Amino acid sequence: MAKLLIVDDEEDVREFAANFFRKRKLDVSTTPSGETAIERVKAHCPDLVLLDIRMAGITGIEALEEIRKFNTSVKVIMVTGTKPEDNDSLAKCQSLGVLEYIHKPLRLDELEHVVMSALK
Amino acid sequence: MNLYALPPLLTSLVFVFLSIFVLIKDSRNIFNRIFFLLGTTSAVWLCCYALAFNSSSESTADVLLRIGYCGIIFIAVAFFHYTVAFLDLKKMKTIVGASYLLSLVWIMLFLKTSLLIKGVKRYSWGYYPLAGVLHPLFLIFFIGLVSFALTLLFYFFFLKSKELTSLKRIQIKYLFLAFFVFNFASVDFLPNYGINIYPFGYLPALLFALIIAYVILRYRLIDIRITVTRAGIFIAVYTFVLGLPFALAGFAKGWLIDIYGASWWIIPLAAMAVLATTGPFFYVHLQRKTEEALLKEQRRYQNTLKHAAIGMTRIRNLQKLLSLITHIVTKTVRIDYAAIYLYTAPTNEFTLQVFRDSDRQRHRVPPAKLSADSPMIRWLHLNKDPMIYEEIKRVVQDTPNPVGKQIEEHMRQILASVIIPSFLDQKLSGFIVLGDKMSGQIYTSDDLNVFQVLASQAALAIENAQFYEDAKEMQAQIAQAEKMATIGTMADGLSHQINNRFYALSLIAGDTIDTIKLTDTQKCSPEIQEMIKNINSALEKIQVNVTQGGEVVKGILKYTRKGDHKLDPISLDQIIDATLEMVKYKVKLAELDIIREYPPETPKITGNLVQMQEVFFNFIDNAYDAIVERRNTLKEDGYRGKITISARPRGDMLEITVQDNGMGVKKEDGKKLFTPFFTTKISARKGTGLGLYVIRNIITEHHGGKIAFDSIHMAGTRFILELPIVKAIS
Repeated sequence: MAKLLIVDDEEDVREFAANFFRKRKLDVSTTPSGETAIERVKAHCPDLVLLDIRMAGITGIEALEEIRKFNTSVKVIMVTGTKPEDNDSLAKCQSLGVLEYIHKPLRLDELEHVVMSALK
Repeated sequence: MNLYALPPLLTSLVFVFLSIFVLIKDSRNIFNRIFFLLGTTSAVWLCCYALAFNSSSESTADVLLRIGYCGIIFIAVAFFHYTVAFLDLKKMKTIVGASYLLSLVWIMLFLKTSLLIKGVKRYSWGYYPLAGVLHPLFLIFFIGLVSFALTLLFYFFFLKSKELTSLKRIQIKYLFLAFFVFNFASVDFLPNYGINIYPFGYLPALLFALIIAYVILRYRLIDIRITVTRAGIFIAVYTFVLGLPFALAGFAKGWLIDIYGASWWIIPLAAMAVLATTGPFFYVHLQRKTEEALLKEQRRYQNTLKHAAIGMTRIRNLQKLLSLITHIVTKTVRIDYAAIYLYTAPTNEFTLQVFRDSDRQRHRVPPAKLSADSPMIRWLHLNKDPMIYEEIKRVVQDTPNPVGKQIEEHMRQILASVIIPSFLDQKLSGFIVLGDKMSGQIYTSDDLNVFQVLASQAALAIENAQFYEDAKEMQAQIAQAEKMATIGTMADGLSHQINNRFYALSLIAGDTIDTIKLTDTQKCSPEIQEMIKNINSALEKIQVNVTQGGEVVKGILKYTRKGDHKLDPISLDQIIDATLEMVKYKVKLAELDIIREYPPETPKITGNLVQMQEVFFNFIDNAYDAIVERRNTLKEDGYRGKITISARPRGDMLEITVQDNGMGVKKEDGKKLFTPFFTTKISARKGTGLGLYVIRNIITEHHGGKIAFDSIHMAGTRFILELPIVKAIS
């Protein structure tokens, strides 16, 4: 069973996304912040991380930087509520080996497609 | 030549010149004509008498004196006639006619019979007529007419005072003075009865005529108290100045010869020289002192007005300022009515701002506005002087013409006795209307001077206050623009939050739909299956809404981007499409037609899409407001708002025209269109007023293009842009 880690500071997002992907037979765990995400990746080694950029505390990019220091293989999909072009986050993400960059709000079937194709 | 004959002769010459002068001034006016009669008959009287004094033949003297006496008859009749005409007493006209007829009878009696003049007597100074049997009757006639005239003047002055204008009142005072002076001329009747006194009545008669001429000719009369005191002081001072040397020469001659011998005459001469040089100083000093005392009241309020004028500029609230001005004017100067009219540019009228009426009973309502093209206003503009109703009335009476009558009518309508114009930079910015002084006195030249100072200070103060109000208004607009700008800066954070909400909604709805899909509902009852189907479609609707919401947020973000200033090749279609995407949230696009009138081969321009989007957003937004305004104001049947966008290449620039058929702008507003914070939007949708200002910056500074516009009020507005076409890379 593939392991998915959902990192988002919104509780509803975590709950419903997790519920959805569990129905798809994925082992889903969730965490609300960047700091705890680093720990989780260290402890559980998920296959895919859905990483929200804007969170309280450190940003998704900063967390990814940390993660990449000890784990370069885990796949990461960045989730953002803002346009990427105006800040250099796109370039940063590419340099950190991000698989995809998706925008909120996202329909669930689109999210499903992105996640499932990433895990193949 | 008999020296005693000289004075009357000279005086008769003066009379001739005076009569001709007055008649030339205005030959159609009845007063001038009566005066001409008075003057000429007096001239006849004096001339004949002068010749009679000079003659040595009794028979010649007799004839001359009889003819001369006929001149005297008309002095009384003319004065009576003048009074009747002056007081406008139509009923007395028959009496006037009768006295003229009676005068003809007297003439017959004087010339043909000895009933009035029984002969002549030789006095030391010349021949003089002796009174005949009926002469006392003539005296009664003469004195009777003059007294009757005087009584009428008294009656009107004291009893019918309210019916008289202030001008008439001061004129009557002068007539009283004239009569008083004329009394001294009656000394001439004494020699008729054998009393040996030189008839110096010609002097009072001349003075009498001069006073009447003054009343006829001058519109603005000097306060009579001043005239009398000045004359009095003059006589007193110069009698002393000239009298003392003569007295020395006459009475002290013997005594002086004793002391100084042959050159005694030096003393009187020296005295004369000294007094002649110091005389004027005495005169001026005394005059000033007495006038100060006399005019204390006037000086008081003139001072108050001067102080008020200075303090006025400190008041910033326009309404308070205007009320203050009218208050000061009515209370201090004690005027019964005051009003202020100011020029209002949009309607080209002078509108009533404030008025104060002390007359509680009459409830007069002055007109609220006056067109700037009315003849009265144009007169004010032309002459730049205060307008006095009495004077205008005089002018209209003397030279009747329809324009003059209109002006008089207007002045009456606005209840004006005086209008003081107020000029700012050569333009008439407003005027103050004044009613009558409650004391019934006229406005003197001094008064008008002070009022003019007040008016010009008032103009400055009013401009100040208006400027201050505009400044406050502008500050409010700046504050609002600031607020709007702040929202822009919050757009990032806000949209992130909103997106989060949508994201959560999307996942919640999506997951629940998924759960339903994966659940086997066959085992449920039909009602439950139905309910689940409804819940499912409801959730799908939520998803659709979420997607739409996301698009709106994306749009906001795109728009609030600080953006780069990069210039790229973009097509007009791109710009308009992007614009419509955003403007649809502000403007009801269904209410108008947007027509693109340019061929598909229209070349691309070098520009920044976001900025061009902003430019066209502004055009369409403004056009929409203009269209709505036109629809609501003109209410034309079948009117449909239209915005036409056309383009054609011109050299290496693309000329783009955006034309709307909205309300358009007035010419005077057009000049201000591109200035920051200017807005003519009357709707509640008033923007920040920065739009066109910013747009001009974008086009000319960032894009190196040009922008122009023209507009026809009530027809539409057109903006013409020129932007650089993308250069083909060869």
